[in-house]
Amino acid sequence: MQAIITDNLSKQYTDNKNAVDHISLTLDQGEVFGFLGPNGAGKTTTVKLLNGMLIPSEGSCQVFGMDPAQIPENIHALSGVVTEHAQMYDNLTGLENLIFYGSIFGVNTSESKVRAAALLKQLDLVTAKDQKLSTYSTGMRQRLSLARALIHHPKILFLDEPTSGLDPESAQNVNQFIRNLAKENGITVFLCTHQLRYAQEICTRYGLMEEGKLLALGTLEQLRSNIVSDITVRIKSSYFPEWLPHKQIGKLDFEVTVQLEEEIPHIIKQLVEAGSNIYQVVAKHPSLEDIYFALTAKQKEVTQ
Amino acid sequence: MNHAMYAIIQKDLRGITSNKRLFSTILIVPLILTIVLPSIFILAIHFAPEELDELQNILKLLPAAQQTKELDQIILSLILNSIMPIFFLMIPIMTASIMAASSFVGEKEKHTLETLLYCPLSLKQIFRSKVLASFLLSMIVSFLSFFAMMFVLEVEIFLTSGKLLLPNISWFIILLLVAPSISLIAITLIVKGSAKAQSVEESQQGAVFLILPIILLIVGQFTGVLLISTWILFLLGIFCALLAYILLKKAMGKFHYEILLKQC
Repeated sequence: MQAIITDNLSKQYTDNKNAVDHISLTLDQGEVFGFLGPNGAGKTTTVKLLNGMLIPSEGSCQVFGMDPAQIPENIHALSGVVTEHAQMYDNLTGLENLIFYGSIFGVNTSESKVRAAALLKQLDLVTAKDQKLSTYSTGMRQRLSLARALIHHPKILFLDEPTSGLDPESAQNVNQFIRNLAKENGITVFLCTHQLRYAQEICTRYGLMEEGKLLALGTLEQLRSNIVSDITVRIKSSYFPEWLPHKQIGKLDFEVTVQLEEEIPHIIKQLVEAGSNIYQVVAKHPSLEDIYFALTAKQKEVTQ
Repeated sequence: MNHAMYAIIQKDLRGITSNKRLFSTILIVPLILTIVLPSIFILAIHFAPEELDELQNILKLLPAAQQTKELDQIILSLILNSIMPIFFLMIPIMTASIMAASSFVGEKEKHTLETLLYCPLSLKQIFRSKVLASFLLSMIVSFLSFFAMMFVLEVEIFLTSGKLLLPNISWFIILLLVAPSISLIAITLIVKGSAKAQSVEESQQGAVFLILPIILLIVGQFTGVLLISTWILFLLGIFCALLAYILLKKAMGKFHYEILLKQC
């Protein structure tokens, strides 16, 4: 069974603008899906639609074969949600919060304590577990939210900007943690973020969004082959002949663009034959960021 | 009621008792209304001159059986059984309003409502838990206030007049019918406004209007224009209970996640 299916899913708020505009996608179980785009692209609205918090204006969606608009509470039992507005109680400690949410999800207190202890350890919050939430930093709150979303062992995790407010080291740890969740526990992850670099580190497939529209869908390789296939080769050399197309970016640094990796040895051979000393060669495949910017630029051209 | 609903009720009650500012507000008003105010009345009667022309109008309205008693006793009985019950009604309204505003709008204000909505309970179950938490606190405070008031009043009456004065049946109607009903009305009105209200204070301000009919009743009782008999009180209680039921049904039916999360 597929974890998520959306069919022409749309949501229009009162201002006649589609916050989510006819999105169709499917997610397999155990996938780490990166739903990417800038703020206001429709990522959070999609998460709310998939959890039954909003009713679609058009189209439909299913989570593990269930319609969120009909039986949201059944989907909530299977899902863990981390969003910016889903906060916890400041007057309770970190551990008390986890036990409370555990009990709401039907986990008894002793089991909640065991699960909370393991999650707090994994998310580096053991020392703060008995502190009131009001004393937590943004990063600590974010990590505790992740623990809260996992306390009932969900089958699917909806994460809306899970690394916002985290320092680079914590963000790295959280990313590693999410990757392991999918790998070891088979949890499906629906990750919404505008931080494309972090997404590239952990996601297995991507959906790129802009102004409610799904611009592209696929694995990194699929996106590269469909959208930007050029490889940028950065070469540090003593000399670069004029007749070989290139772009000088430093005194001894040059960049050339190729379509295939097979073209690189040929260029290096030509440089050596021309008497150049080669110090460094780095081939740079288009990143998710490059792909996204190429896509949005293409979209702008189309609309103009 | 399932385990999850019980957890929400427990958390809400704990939330209000751990908030010193709110909890002291909940305690101070009943303290004034049930201990300080009646004590002032009793002392005033004890030290007042024998002839009280101002009270003649109201005394005439009393049943003939009561008019045969001593003046002090008549006035004390009037205060205990006719005036205090109306003052007392402010307690469930106020407690329920503070608790409901804190548990509905407060959650929205602190961005914890969304987290709660992601739990595997239906919206109706979440509402029921929250209404029940507010209702429970309101009833606990009301009953405790009543017993505290009775204790202090009986001691004061005994010390000043050497007799005991027992509460009449009006108090049972108040405690078991009117107070629960108007608690539920207050809670429902707060819940109804909770989708629009953006702060706890804004929400509580709306509940102030509920006090107005009570103030009118108090004025009526004092001036002798209106004296609420047990039967009128009973009918008033039935009317409030019906109104509470209708409002509660209506408020619960209208809610959807989308309305609740608006501007959240």
